[in-house]
Amino acid sequence: MSKESQQITEAIVERVESVLVGKQHSVRLALACLYAGGHLLIEDLPGMGKTTLAQALAAAIGLSYTRVQFTSDLLPADIIGVSVYDRNKASFEFHPGPIFNQLVLADEINRTTPKTQSALLEAMAEGQVSVEGETRPLPQPFYVIATQNPLSQSGTFPLPESQLDRFLMRLRLGYPDPEAERQLLSGADPRSKLATLSRGVTPLQLAAIQGAVSRVKVSESLVDYLQRLLQFTRSSADIDYGISPRGGMAVLKSARAWALMDGRDYVIPEDIQAVFSPVCAHRLPVSGGEHRAENLIQQTLNSVDII
Amino acid sequence: MRPLWQIPRDCLFWLLVSVFVSIGLHLEHLPPWVALSGIVAALWQIQLYRERWHQPGRLLKWSLAGACGAGLLLHYGRMTGLEPMVALLFTGYILKLLEIHHRRDALVLLYLSYLIIILQSLFSSTIVASVLVLVALLPVTAALVAMHGATDNSRPTTALRTGLAMILQAIPLMLVMFIVMPRIGSLWAVPQPNSATTGVSDSMSPGDMTQLGRNGAIAFRVEFDGPIPEQNKLYWRGLVFSSFDGRRWQQQAPQSYRDGRFLQWSNQALEAWDKDIIRRGQPLSYRVTLEATNSHWLFALSTPLSPSSSVALSRDFRLVNNEPVVSKLLYPVRSWLDNQLQAESLPGWRHQIELALPAGYNPKTRAIAKQWRAETPDTAAFINRLLGLYNQEFIYTLRPPALGRHTVDEFLWGTKKGFCEFYASSFVFFMRAAGIPARVVVGYQGGERHPSENYLIVRQYDAHAWAEVWIEGRGWLRVDPTAAVAPERIELSFADLFAEQDEFLSESPFSLEHLRHINWLNNLRLKLDSLDYAWAKWVLGYDNIQNDLLLDLLGAIKPQRIALLLLFAGGIALLPVFIMLYLSREKNTRDELDRLFLQYCARLDNIGLPREPGEGPRDFAQRIGQQAPSLTAQVDALTQLYESARYSEVQGDDLKRFKAALKAFKPSRKAFLHGA
Repeated sequence: MSKESQQITEAIVERVESVLVGKQHSVRLALACLYAGGHLLIEDLPGMGKTTLAQALAAAIGLSYTRVQFTSDLLPADIIGVSVYDRNKASFEFHPGPIFNQLVLADEINRTTPKTQSALLEAMAEGQVSVEGETRPLPQPFYVIATQNPLSQSGTFPLPESQLDRFLMRLRLGYPDPEAERQLLSGADPRSKLATLSRGVTPLQLAAIQGAVSRVKVSESLVDYLQRLLQFTRSSADIDYGISPRGGMAVLKSARAWALMDGRDYVIPEDIQAVFSPVCAHRLPVSGGEHRAENLIQQTLNSVDII
Repeated sequence: MRPLWQIPRDCLFWLLVSVFVSIGLHLEHLPPWVALSGIVAALWQIQLYRERWHQPGRLLKWSLAGACGAGLLLHYGRMTGLEPMVALLFTGYILKLLEIHHRRDALVLLYLSYLIIILQSLFSSTIVASVLVLVALLPVTAALVAMHGATDNSRPTTALRTGLAMILQAIPLMLVMFIVMPRIGSLWAVPQPNSATTGVSDSMSPGDMTQLGRNGAIAFRVEFDGPIPEQNKLYWRGLVFSSFDGRRWQQQAPQSYRDGRFLQWSNQALEAWDKDIIRRGQPLSYRVTLEATNSHWLFALSTPLSPSSSVALSRDFRLVNNEPVVSKLLYPVRSWLDNQLQAESLPGWRHQIELALPAGYNPKTRAIAKQWRAETPDTAAFINRLLGLYNQEFIYTLRPPALGRHTVDEFLWGTKKGFCEFYASSFVFFMRAAGIPARVVVGYQGGERHPSENYLIVRQYDAHAWAEVWIEGRGWLRVDPTAAVAPERIELSFADLFAEQDEFLSESPFSLEHLRHINWLNNLRLKLDSLDYAWAKWVLGYDNIQNDLLLDLLGAIKPQRIALLLLFAGGIALLPVFIMLYLSREKNTRDELDRLFLQYCARLDNIGLPREPGEGPRDFAQRIGQQAPSLTAQVDALTQLYESARYSEVQGDDLKRFKAALKAFKPSRKAFLHGA
């Protein structure tokens, strides 16, 4: 299974990379997030390729995709759906909202009201929505990629820490490196390739991979290492509140997915280190500087010995 | 101006405590205004820390420094000597408190604190002073600990605890250094405090003195090998006065002894005059622990010899140290109580010296002496006649009336009241006037026997003066005219005799001696004295026995052997620390695989490729692949084995294979360098 997942991963990454140039690491992390069954928060400036990443991923995995632009007047019903009276049938009929898609891109999630935010986040957590007393399951796999703009915070509703916790990872795409940017500028618009992008994985394979993640082995000494990492964040003088046990479990789940993508059926310290920052940075309530949390995480990784 | 560097809070606290402690230690010999300005400077520093006050400006600092210098000059009138120099150092130390701009300033202050605290031992080295110095080191060490951020800033007690632990751990090493380190003679003259009180000075003028020094301070202690001789044999000779100018008795200048040198050192060839000394019988062997006198002279029973190479025997048969006794000095002596000194003959020039009398003084005494001599030609009878006169008509008192120009005339034929110096002076004058060579000897008489320990305590109030006359065929003989007046002065100790009088100990108002009649207090006093004596003998006087001790231990004193002994003894002294560290170390819970992996890391570390703490084996291998490509294959194989053994948890022989591969893995620095 592990070798197969590696091949599939490579195929998906290759397809996405043909559209989103030079962001292989972010693509892999986003994929790990999907394998692990979590949701992804991308925090970056406009025009860095957030939407492209989501679209390319949807196409390369073959997921049904929709994009919701979050605005301050968006209502929960606009996402979840609404029952409309059908005169022909003389009954209310449920019209599912955009959330009934496999990959939902929630753009600028912090622009909408907390009420709408929590409707989305609840759906993310439960994997189902309840409308008018009826529980409707969401499609499988269900993967939300939310974006938020770190700048121009006026008129926004920043997500509280407890809701940030619903996202398995937070990514920052960042500017492309010079080589990739030159390629981007000289070639045709990569988005045009989106339409022709074939999928690199069947739904069955994806389900198998997601099932295989939990079977990736985690040895005792690795658990010990992870626990020491968590303990370090709790005892560090610079961090007010360390990573919670749920955060630790999220790290482990992501690391398993990462190991699987690398073609291994066991986790090694490097897997933990690869996913630790995207999984933990947004769970650290620290103030002061945009990248302070990342720096503290890096410091933690540098300080704690692997054995 | 804001300080460039903020001193840690607990460090400042202990620094100020150190300053106060230093001031307290030196309070006795500092001008009061220096101590006071230390307190003001400390308060200023506190206000600076609280940002209430400003740093003193350059002009203010310069004028303060100038004022301190001028103040010291005014106070002492000179800048040489120990006390002015210590006070100068102190003012600098205090002014430095006002300019702690950098860490180094605070460090300078702390190191200065150590120096200033140690300087205290130049002034006093009693057991109490030594313990105080040790205690005073504590706040300084605590400040040093706090300065280096060994604790968080909030609580000064944490730094104190660490400092205390450090000092306690250092004590075994201190002891080892004390015992083993060879003493280096002083490379320079150590300046000495000027205030030493002694009952014996280098001159004697009975007419001027109307009160005998009644000071209860200890002059010296004597430990005898055998029993302590009787009280009336204990004449501790210190100085011999042969020169009289009408008022004052003084020592004869050494150069006036024309034949041979004045001093006989134990390690030099015998002087010609040594044959003048006839020693009979078994010598009395004892050790004297002399308190500081700031003078060369030593005290011993007649006639002495000291094996110590720094002690010489003088022409007038007393002991002289090669340098002023500035701190407690222990010297061994052998004395032949049965002796004959210069019995053969006295050369003409010596006769002149020992008979010289100033013209125009004491005419009546001169006339009567000549008359008596004519009436009593036998010398012994002549002496007895004068002693008889003393015995019948004279009164021993500590408060004699003052005398005018003719001190001896007025005393002998007028007041007839006085103490030892009056009798010694008049007796010697009378003898000389009659043509009998005589001289005055000053020193101490008697002493207090310690009831439980076998030693004698001689105090300043035991100071005494007596006479020596030279008789053809018998040599120099001791005559104590005071004994003729008040025999009990010689038979009893001075303290027993005069305890009831008001004058007794009038110079030592707080002495425990006042309470001699309260039995348990008296016992306590003697217990304290024996403690102090043991301290003086074993700690301060350790220099004297160290040589023998080291010889016993090493066979021969060579630098290599001393270094070995130092290492050995230091190792033993530090052993408890090692044991503590060993017991409190983190328990090694690593399993075999991790130990092997650490070995692998250590081998790479040895060739300059250390693994970072947070670096996983795979990342590490990758980095080595870049830095030392020649190692890639081996390192990758090892990493693969380690990973699969450690993390895949497949029951296999990966551990064995890792072990085998590690055995073959011998990276050399060359491989790394050539690869790079």
